[in-house]
Amino acid sequence: MDRVKTGIVGLDTMLNGGLLPARPYVISGPTGSGKTILSAHFLLEGLGQHEPCLLVTLDEPPIEVKSNMATFGWNLDRLKILDATPDVRAHKRQRSVIDVGTALDVRDMEDVTEIRQSSGIRALEVNVHSVQKMIKQEFAHHLERTKERYKRIVIDSMTALKMFSMQGQDSRVLTQSFLRFLAELESTTLIVSERLDRKILETEFFLSRGEIRLHKWVDGSVVRRAISIEKFRVETRLIDEVSNVIESVMKGIEDAHRRQVPIRDVEVSLSRAMLAFQRRNYRKAMKIALGCDSDLKERLRQAPPAPPTAIPPRPPLVAR
Amino acid sequence: MTAAAKIRTGIAGLDKMLHGGFVPGRPYIVSGPPGAGKTILAMQFLREGLEGGERCLFVALEEPPNELKINMRGFRWNLDDLDVLDANSDIRRFEPTPILEISTEEEPIKVRALGDRIRKTPDFESKEVTVHSLQQLLKTLLLKRNYERVVIDSITALKYFCMREFEEAVTTQSFMRYLAESKVTSLLTLELPEEGEVPPEAFLARGEIRLHKLRDETGIKRFISVEKYKGSSHDEFVYAFDITNAGIVLNTAA
Repeated sequence: MDRVKTGIVGLDTMLNGGLLPARPYVISGPTGSGKTILSAHFLLEGLGQHEPCLLVTLDEPPIEVKSNMATFGWNLDRLKILDATPDVRAHKRQRSVIDVGTALDVRDMEDVTEIRQSSGIRALEVNVHSVQKMIKQEFAHHLERTKERYKRIVIDSMTALKMFSMQGQDSRVLTQSFLRFLAELESTTLIVSERLDRKILETEFFLSRGEIRLHKWVDGSVVRRAISIEKFRVETRLIDEVSNVIESVMKGIEDAHRRQVPIRDVEVSLSRAMLAFQRRNYRKAMKIALGCDSDLKERLRQAPPAPPTAIPPRPPLVAR
Repeated sequence: MTAAAKIRTGIAGLDKMLHGGFVPGRPYIVSGPPGAGKTILAMQFLREGLEGGERCLFVALEEPPNELKINMRGFRWNLDDLDVLDANSDIRRFEPTPILEISTEEEPIKVRALGDRIRKTPDFESKEVTVHSLQQLLKTLLLKRNYERVVIDSITALKYFCMREFEEAVTTQSFMRYLAESKVTSLLTLELPEEGEVPPEAFLARGEIRLHKLRDETGIKRFISVEKYKGSSHDEFVYAFDITNAGIVLNTAA
């Protein structure tokens, strides 16, 4: 399975190539540790590869996201942004009748010009249902318009969604359902989440397929940052495994050469395995390499034992 | 109980720690923070059973089975004959719609028959898993198929998503009781918070294997310990372990 690059070279190395496609992941860390910037890297990487990307913002209004990212000189114009920041609350009795799901808007980042003004008549309240519905609609529209699915989604942040949009409801069940919803979309999703209390196990942390954690601490008078991978469901160490097998076959071949066993055909099929490996067809590479391995072992077993390695004559001892 | 009558866990080092393995027919807990290796340990437990020709069941409450299959591929274990029960709830409906209780129609699927993509929530109905329906379903399954090893991954998900909050303790207790009565050797995974108290499920089980995750300058290190084990002696040491191509391997030599 091809990995999804995060846009940060070092992180991709830590992840052995990147994230697995079509799964939800959590980015956690304290305030100001760089979670939003990391997710922007992720989106930028996607845009660079012409993948459709969607940012669902619940914390910051889109215009602020835009100007913050502009300070890095990043161009996120082609990014779709779903503004799910709640309006100023109307402290009046009457409730809005309108279905909020239709009032949220999705637009290109380049069309974002100013903060959305709260309407005087009805206040837009965001709940998890409306966010879900909106993402679903946008997904369907996008598929219809471009015949493409969104490849990358960022939810910034889950903490806001839980704090402001799940009040009075069973947040565990709603979070489970929301993660299930994201998984069924089959996009690679980053969920930004602040870990508020280490003693409480938040649902998204154990349901996500991986957690990248950012750390921030004060060391003397400087703020230091670090990154770690807390959890990562890996499909396979198949890559490592294939390269191990190939390596052992190569050692066997060397051995065979030394013992002058004819193994031309094994070498040919090993090169086919290596070609498949380069093309990232690991499954095929594995199959061929395993074939080579057993062939070679058989061949070596039948061959006469290795001649004793010649011991170079020792230099005469020099008395001091 | 003599070591011979115990059933093996599928991890050599752990069998040694448990002085032979598990006492058959009882529920056990494997606990640890997310990413510690609980699911892998549970899978090795089932694989051991499969190799001995036993019938095994994996109840997936956290991950969709298709992902589980992909995750385990790297180990190249033969899990084809493992039954997987997809007990993940669907996306919740916000409109009142008829809810399907899983007990009515769900059947476990063999790993070899699992597809590569996630099951989609149907448009007009959605499946909801409650502890009651799951228990009902397990009852019929155990009768019909004679499972010898069952893994519930995880009891935390069961508690969080399938029970009503005010009756969690009682329901969990009754679920464990049910497992014990059905005389199947079961392994339940339990998510632990980073710090603070251990959830009460741990004390209901007959034994608890705990996985620890520590972070130092060189990276994340993993350790395993037997916190409790009723009816058997066991090792009191904490051992380091690695997750390798062959699954969990304990460094008992050190």
